Amino acid sequence: MATQPNPGIADELARRLDELALELTLPTNAADPDRWAASLTALARYAESSGCGDLAAAADSAADALRNAPEWVAAEEARLELAQAIEKLRAELPSSSCEPESNAFNLADDPELIRDFVAECREHLLAIEQHALVLDGDAGNLEAIHSLFRSFHTIKGLAGFLGFEAIQGLSHEVETLLDLARNSKLSLSRHAIDIVLECKDYISRWITVLEAPAESRLAYPAPDERLIARVQAIATNPGSVAAQAPAVEATQSNAEATPDSGRQLVAARFVKVDTEKLDYLVDMVGEMVIAQSMVRHDPDLKVEGNGRLERNLAQLARMTDEVQRTAMAMRMVPVSGLFQKMVRLVRDLSRKFGKQIRVETEGDDVELDRNIVEELADPMMHMIRNAADHGIETPAERAASGKDPTAVVFLRAHHSAGYIEIEVSDDGRGVNRQKVLARARERGLVAPNAQLSDAECDNLIFQPGFSTAEKVSEVSGRGVGMDVVRKQIQKLRGSVELTSVTGKGATFSLRVPLTLAIIDGLVVETGSERYILPLTSVKELFRPTAGQVSTVEGKAEVASVRDRLLPVMRLYERFGIQPRTTDPTTAVFVTAESDGNTFCIMVDELIGKQEVVIKTLGNAFRNVSGVAGGAILGDGRVGLILDLPTLFAGRHQCRAR
Amino acid sequence: MNVTTKAAPSTRKTTSTDTRAGKYLSFHLASEEYAIQVIKVREIVKLQHITTVPETPPELKGVINLRGKVIPVIDLRLRFALPTKEYDQLTCIVVVELSRSGCGPMGLIVDNVNEVMMLQESDIQDTPNFGIGVETPYLLGMAKMEDGVKILLDIDEVLATADLSALTALAS
Repeated sequence: MATQPNPGIADELARRLDELALELTLPTNAADPDRWAASLTALARYAESSGCGDLAAAADSAADALRNAPEWVAAEEARLELAQAIEKLRAELPSSSCEPESNAFNLADDPELIRDFVAECREHLLAIEQHALVLDGDAGNLEAIHSLFRSFHTIKGLAGFLGFEAIQGLSHEVETLLDLARNSKLSLSRHAIDIVLECKDYISRWITVLEAPAESRLAYPAPDERLIARVQAIATNPGSVAAQAPAVEATQSNAEATPDSGRQLVAARFVKVDTEKLDYLVDMVGEMVIAQSMVRHDPDLKVEGNGRLERNLAQLARMTDEVQRTAMAMRMVPVSGLFQKMVRLVRDLSRKFGKQIRVETEGDDVELDRNIVEELADPMMHMIRNAADHGIETPAERAASGKDPTAVVFLRAHHSAGYIEIEVSDDGRGVNRQKVLARARERGLVAPNAQLSDAECDNLIFQPGFSTAEKVSEVSGRGVGMDVVRKQIQKLRGSVELTSVTGKGATFSLRVPLTLAIIDGLVVETGSERYILPLTSVKELFRPTAGQVSTVEGKAEVASVRDRLLPVMRLYERFGIQPRTTDPTTAVFVTAESDGNTFCIMVDELIGKQEVVIKTLGNAFRNVSGVAGGAILGDGRVGLILDLPTLFAGRHQCRAR
Repeated sequence: MNVTTKAAPSTRKTTSTDTRAGKYLSFHLASEEYAIQVIKVREIVKLQHITTVPETPPELKGVINLRGKVIPVIDLRLRFALPTKEYDQLTCIVVVELSRSGCGPMGLIVDNVNEVMMLQESDIQDTPNFGIGVETPYLLGMAKMEDGVKILLDIDEVLATADLSALTALAS
């Protein structure tokens, strides 16, 4: 940062930047990139004359960027650009205008207080988003305004207590604004709600930083004076904003009137439980089930012929089963939180792209394992970005093709045989198959003369190295393709497919298991150890006949299975253990498939199929290839769960041993 | 078998360097007697089936099922490069809770556990200097008792330090 002796000049520069920042509070339709560029140039000249070369150069380049940007998708983009420029320029401001660093937080050093603060804020932030989105569709909803007010008030109090002045200051301003709204002295425009949401995002950033343990914590976000100024501007001068807002609102308020507006704002009755305690409970219940089955099958207890004992044991079995199911269910959360995030995303995207999109949801109360819900957020956001960017047409295009100018993104969740299916669909133009096919050929993903069905063609977008975006926009092409989305879903042991009807829209169908904690496993034995294979990857089991297995170049072995030659991996060789048999004709072959590789695993014996609870092996065994985790088997021993991709990838190194 | 009471988690906050006086659990490895702070010990279980995990160093014997939790088990003899011995009736697993965060409980295979004893600061002598190049950060000190010298281990360091050859030299 440049040092400047004259505080007057620094203050003047800061004032001008503030003025410019105030422009950002104007509604979208008043955005004028050219005027902003002019202001920036004027600022640059002033800075130059007062000897702040760095600042002048930065302001000039920002002005140029604003002028030369050829095709703004929307004025919103320009606002973003200006906001970033201002942020950068502030950093360049001579240091004399900067406030001295505020004192170190004292109470903030207590990890327990911070943890409570983070937990409580998270809850309030979630509520804020929810209520702000309700207000978005129904501006007069007093209950929502009251809730917003309460949430910000609580956050302010907590932040003040811990000495987080940046949060406290901002919350105070928002509270003032909401106070006016709740006393009907001000009606919240869409723009005001935007700002409330931005304030929420700012506080979220703080919370994210605070969540990390103290020693690895990143720098706290800088106090955002600009945001505060914008909140104040609305609170003190509602007329100017409100007067210009209706024009925008008329077209957009119904565009985003989500069915959520009718959602009841009831706070469910919950007890907060540490997830560690919950995991412990699940562990113990698992043990109880095993202990119960051991008692039941104890040879000394002659169950047969003893009707009373038999009945009692059966009763116990039923109850433990029920307890286990309940314990598992406690880790489940409804998908509504996930959908909520998407509603917010669509709202932001629709403004960014100048498209009118509303979200409809169904099956909000379908429950999924907490971890899966968290892992689904990114892939789903990616799909929605894709839909908003590529699939959905502009209002004009939609009107021209006789569609409702407001597009619909439909989110739907439902149960399906032990799995949850989530659909993300839009009513846009659908997949452009010619374009997809052309791109796939260009990238060499399909043979030039291959005939593909429509479904095959649609799903080409999941191929690695495929991206149809002609120009890589900030939103839908940040170097991450749909192949990453598919990988992520597969990591959850799920699948994703795309179906599309030209002109009518496209649907992503996601299928994920109810929980990550349990898998259906095939238990096999080699030597004295038992291993578990995920049943979904197992294709076939057989005992090879003599001559079915042959050696290639005296090294690798292959088995001929249904006219296919499949590589053979002897599990005992791979893991370096003592087997009971080395003769394939007395062993069992398991044909498994993973990541497109099909291969045979040779084991001593088949034990059976079992549902197992996956446990991590802990830090000590983090980098073991071929093993995904452990599970407690019916006899109380630990069995290792095989990780097929790394098991297969590491098959050569073990032969070398 | 003597069973040790476990310390409540909340009292475990004091670090091992605060003071060396306190209760120790002593156990045998080969001909030596070692002791670790009782506060680190969660429980003692008898030897049970250990599932071997491939591609791990030999002293990492594998994992066991500790009431529904899968925990790693280390053979302390192998850790200290002492001669190996067949496991027998007395062999047992001392489950310790490390103070390093992110590390769950861990099992240590020892020849047999001996007793829980109270040591005063005056009972404990600093580790003698074994010469240049022999760093022994995992030794808290030595306790001279009526029945011989007990080597006090800082179990966190034992499991964190990669090379324990210095102790082997000491044991011989």
